[in-house]
Amino acid sequence: MTTSRDDAAVFTAIFDRHRHAVHAYFLGRVSDPELARDLVQETFLRAWRRLSEVGPLPGGQQRAWIFTVARNLAIDSYRSGAARRAAEDALRHEATTREATVAGPHTQAELGERLARLEAAIGQLPEDQRVVLSMTAAGQLTSRQIGEALGEPAGTVRYRLSQARKQLAAALDLEEEGA
Amino acid sequence: MTHPAGHDLDQLLAAWAQAHRLTDSDAERIRQAIVPDDLALPATWWSDLNSKVSQTIARATAMPAPAVAGWL
Repeated sequence: MTTSRDDAAVFTAIFDRHRHAVHAYFLGRVSDPELARDLVQETFLRAWRRLSEVGPLPGGQQRAWIFTVARNLAIDSYRSGAARRAAEDALRHEATTREATVAGPHTQAELGERLARLEAAIGQLPEDQRVVLSMTAAGQLTSRQIGEALGEPAGTVRYRLSQARKQLAAALDLEEEGA
Repeated sequence: MTHPAGHDLDQLLAAWAQAHRLTDSDAERIRQAIVPDDLALPATWWSDLNSKVSQTIARATAMPAPAVAGWL
């Protein structure tokens, strides 16, 4: 493949535009941060190789193209069996070791404990709920954008997000609005 | 028992997201792994090279000024 600095600039713009959303998607799918990063890299490697195709696409279509690749990679990863095992290991590990990095020692310990409970509760969510939750919280996408990316109606995304939040609130003994 | 703070879940999710978000350094590592450092030459590389070679040849073969004076 012949590439130029212009190609690199186009790719970097695409990468910067979508990397958080794609990472959040994989985080929801596989839960293992290292595997999620590997899958992000593989997704964008394919975008780089097909830059002439994906580069000119308008925003929504570009996102859809990238997430089609991401979904296929997630499926392949699951088929290999490694993702599921890694996800289970990661959830067990992170639920016991994650610590907060903000606030004072006492508050930090308390927050760390609550984050560990949240982590475990997120791990218990059905996968489709975990994905939309991650894409909302970590990817900072709207329900419409998530719907575009996943090829599903925004209403379905909102419903899953609502269900996820209710389940998390219950697991953490929190009051959730509308619960 | 439930905690009274209605925004607790949002705050916890924000902290969770912050802890998990792809860092800039991770992102840069990924980008560098994809985009090769030694990118192909620019489209004008051939004409640029030709121009430099021509200038070099012209300088190397130009007759020095004293020689030009002696010649005339």
